[in-house]
Amino acid sequence: MPMNFGSPFTSPTRPTVLDRTDQGLHTAQLPVGTPAQRSLRWTPLLVSIVFTTVLVAMIDLFTSATFNGSALYTLPLALCALQRSKKLLWIIAVAVAVLTLVSGNWGLDRHGSLELRSVLVNDALLVASLFTLAGFIHLFMEGSRKSVLDAIRMQFQSDNLLFQNVQMEQLIDSSGKEIIARQESEADLEQMEVKYRGLLEAAPDAMVVVDEQGKIVLLNVQAEKQFGYRRDELLGKHVTTIIPEGFAERLIADDKRSAAEALAQHMGTGIELVALRKDGSEFPIEMMLSPLVNKEGILVTAAIRDISVRRKAVEHLAQMESRYRGLLEAAPDAMVVVNEQGAIVLLNVQAEKQFGYWRGELLGKRVTDIIPEGFAERLIADDKRSAAEALAQHMGTGIELVALRKDGSEFPIEMMLSPLVNKEGILVTAAIRDISVRKRKEQESRWMEERFQRLLESAPDAMVIVDREGVIQLANAQAELVFGYAKHEMLGQPVVMLITSNLLGTAAHQEAHLGRDPRTRMMGHGIELEGKRKNGSQFPLEAALSPLDLVDGMLVSVAVRDITDRKRAENDILELNRTLEQRVSRRTEQLLKSEQRFHNALDIMLEGVQIIGFDWTHLYVNDAVVAQSTFSREELIGHTMLARYPGIEQSPLFVALAQCMEQREAHIMDTDFTFPNGSVTSFHLSIQPVDEGLLILSSDITAKKRAESEVAIQREQLERQNKDLEQFAYIASHDLKEPLRMVTSYVQLLQQRYSDKLDEVAMEYIAFAVDGAERMKQLITDLLGYSQLGRALTTGDVDLDVVVQHVRSNLAHVLAESKCTLTIGALPVVRSSSTEMLQLFQNLVSNAIKFRRNDVVLQIHVSATEEKEHWHFKVEDNGIGIEQRYHDIVFTPFKRLNDKSRYTGSGIGLSIAQKVVLVHGGRIWITSTFGLGTTIHFTLKRK
Amino acid sequence: MEILLVEDNPGDVGLTREALREGDVPYNLNVVIDGMAAMDFMECKGQYANAPFPDLILLDLNLPKLNGHEVLARIKAHSEWKMIPIVVLTTSEAQTDIDAAYALHVNCYITKPLNFQDFMKAIKQIESFWLDLVRLPSTMISARRLGSS
Repeated sequence: MPMNFGSPFTSPTRPTVLDRTDQGLHTAQLPVGTPAQRSLRWTPLLVSIVFTTVLVAMIDLFTSATFNGSALYTLPLALCALQRSKKLLWIIAVAVAVLTLVSGNWGLDRHGSLELRSVLVNDALLVASLFTLAGFIHLFMEGSRKSVLDAIRMQFQSDNLLFQNVQMEQLIDSSGKEIIARQESEADLEQMEVKYRGLLEAAPDAMVVVDEQGKIVLLNVQAEKQFGYRRDELLGKHVTTIIPEGFAERLIADDKRSAAEALAQHMGTGIELVALRKDGSEFPIEMMLSPLVNKEGILVTAAIRDISVRRKAVEHLAQMESRYRGLLEAAPDAMVVVNEQGAIVLLNVQAEKQFGYWRGELLGKRVTDIIPEGFAERLIADDKRSAAEALAQHMGTGIELVALRKDGSEFPIEMMLSPLVNKEGILVTAAIRDISVRKRKEQESRWMEERFQRLLESAPDAMVIVDREGVIQLANAQAELVFGYAKHEMLGQPVVMLITSNLLGTAAHQEAHLGRDPRTRMMGHGIELEGKRKNGSQFPLEAALSPLDLVDGMLVSVAVRDITDRKRAENDILELNRTLEQRVSRRTEQLLKSEQRFHNALDIMLEGVQIIGFDWTHLYVNDAVVAQSTFSREELIGHTMLARYPGIEQSPLFVALAQCMEQREAHIMDTDFTFPNGSVTSFHLSIQPVDEGLLILSSDITAKKRAESEVAIQREQLERQNKDLEQFAYIASHDLKEPLRMVTSYVQLLQQRYSDKLDEVAMEYIAFAVDGAERMKQLITDLLGYSQLGRALTTGDVDLDVVVQHVRSNLAHVLAESKCTLTIGALPVVRSSSTEMLQLFQNLVSNAIKFRRNDVVLQIHVSATEEKEHWHFKVEDNGIGIEQRYHDIVFTPFKRLNDKSRYTGSGIGLSIAQKVVLVHGGRIWITSTFGLGTTIHFTLKRK
Repeated sequence: MEILLVEDNPGDVGLTREALREGDVPYNLNVVIDGMAAMDFMECKGQYANAPFPDLILLDLNLPKLNGHEVLARIKAHSEWKMIPIVVLTTSEAQTDIDAAYALHVNCYITKPLNFQDFMKAIKQIESFWLDLVRLPSTMISARRLGSS
């Protein structure tokens, strides 16, 4: 059997350089053997096998007249050849030979019976003939091998080159056929070689043919370009010049490899190595080797491709992939990538979290494990969907499904799908969002809506909710009752179907107005409208509108109340009112007459009466007002105060009027008013709020005020004069004392020093002078005391009981001498100065003692009675009394009623008493019966 | 003993002189008729260049030019003069005058008795009290020495 039989054919792998990344660049389809090629390859083998089998069978038949089984053994032999196993081929070939020899006794006779016989000679002959035949066939095949196989091998070389061009393949095909057809034609062969060289040069990859020693025997223009050498520079060079490592090693058998193994290694695709240019720069290459055994030995053809661009692309791809993975992981949603079979091929960390698995657990799992329904179904085409429809369905947003966690709990999700068609088929990326929170919110808002609905239903009034266009959006049960429509009959209808306004146009108009001015209008102050029932009847209603500013636009809720009953009641009241009014008007007529009288009275009143309207117009003025003002009645009536009295706004009068007008409170005031002509009048005003506005009563108090101020000036003058007088009296009395003292002192000095030189008469004169001086001194002292009354610097609570006890002790001597009885009633505490009170009481008691009667025992009684605003004091005596005509003058200073020979004193005691009482704001007077006694009365203010 | 009488009323001066005459104590009566003169006397100015340092001052309040209270205040503010006993002798009975005089550290305040006899008696009592009965501070003597020298 030919040793190298299978070698060209043991490379059935279809050398596919399917560049996944740049398919577009190289559609490099390496030879997929065409049927023609295959038949060409297998033809010699099949021919030899079939021929041998038929021959063996015929020999067997002729020699033993039986159908020997050995013929059948060639069949497995053929099969083994087909199986391309050289070892098996040999084993089976030997086995067949042995079996044929050993089992020669076994056979089926022509009648089908198994027959044991000795066929040793026959079989030996058979085997010999078999080998001879095989050898013959082999020789036959060898004869044409030189030309044919060369051609075939060339073709195989080009096989590797012409992969991308079908036309080329066909050309090769036909060339192959041509070659087989005209096997002996050398000229054709040369022509072929030129062709193939052309093909070699046209190859897009660098092609280098190397012999077993690693010498470069052939190269194409691409190789020149890639390595930067000229052709003649490379030819004959060792291949390590351009490919330092990984190529030459494959060519030779060394201690590590047998020759066969080295040969086997020649074969190879996608060997990635580093190549070296002439300029020393390196670049990555992908190399394909195919050995070619020819008469010169084994030649290896290397197709070399510069893959530096692809490398970069791959690196870029890896970079991109890591970026996309980063994006995937950073996505806020759970991301799951699922293939067409529904298996999870990729997921991110969010997906781990959401579903409670770790990544490894989920990868490769069915997507139904995490999303039981609604996802997997979308991935596949089934009887309901075409593949295109299924693909279309992959797209989708807002798919709401239920997801399942590892712990078995479920949660609502929203899923977005996007399909991605790639080489592995369709991958679907699912972005999954946990919407349990949103769902809960939705649930809550549904509850709220439900509550709102119930609230709406439970409202006592009919409620209709309309949108801005006046279309009914909601209505409650009350609305059904009131309007007689079923709910569904109202919804979507314009609100004017139910409500029309006889006052403000259509309700829709009103709604539009409300839209512009969305204020709440309360029921009480609502709009009265006309309601229309389904049966066409109309009824009055009152509506309260309130805007609801919602996210999806403005709604207006209209609460409607049937006010038929109220209207009826109102009408009743109106009727009643009308009756009343009639009565009132009749009565008014009667009253008008009296009012006329009243008006007349007002007109002639001395006090000014005027009525001012809310707009400050004079509505009524009487004669007195006209007289007080500088205008005629016609100039006032119908004109405003503001117009009549420019600048009145600044006057205190107007401020008071405005306040009264606003607060509706009566006010009384005195004010000076300046008229436009400059005259000033003082008014006493009483301002009353009345239905028409204000009623002002005015009195001209200018004269009174002037009089009052005159009195005040006079009083002031008097007071000043009084003060001056007091001052004068004090100074005069003080200064009078000095010369008086000189007079008395020197008269007495005279009396003392010259008594022995003066006679009786002189001494008497001196005595008169001294006595006069003494009395004058007393007068001056009293006058001084009198003038100083009321100047007390300290006032306080004075207990009069204590004061009168002081009087008693001060006058003890005189009282004892006159045998007088002084009785004292209960006396109050007053606010005064104790000195002045002492002067008051002591003077009165002294006075009583002084004017006593000698025939009766003097009795003096001091008492006090409480009256409304003051204390009423009495000092009673049973003395000589005072005649009525003198009752007033007794209080005049230094006025004496009696001769001084009988009654001593300066006559200032009662004057002092009077002054003390007067400066305390009290009153003093006398009641007396001449000859029987005197009572001095005075009052002091209560504390 | 040197007495300074500050009194504008010659009648009172006469009466005082008469009253003092009846006493036993030897004295020298110096009279000035207004407040300014009193101060000149204390400071030995002008016509009072040879004025003696007084042992007692009798001071009226109602004085021309510089009133008694002012004279009192100035003397009592002086480091040496403040030790001189001052008797206010006046017709004023006003409590304000009395309080003011004591506030200015007067040694005593006497209202002139209007009665002749009482007046004579009062002057005699002043004389016997201040010139005879009381012991005066020693510094008075040295002060007087300084003043005279």
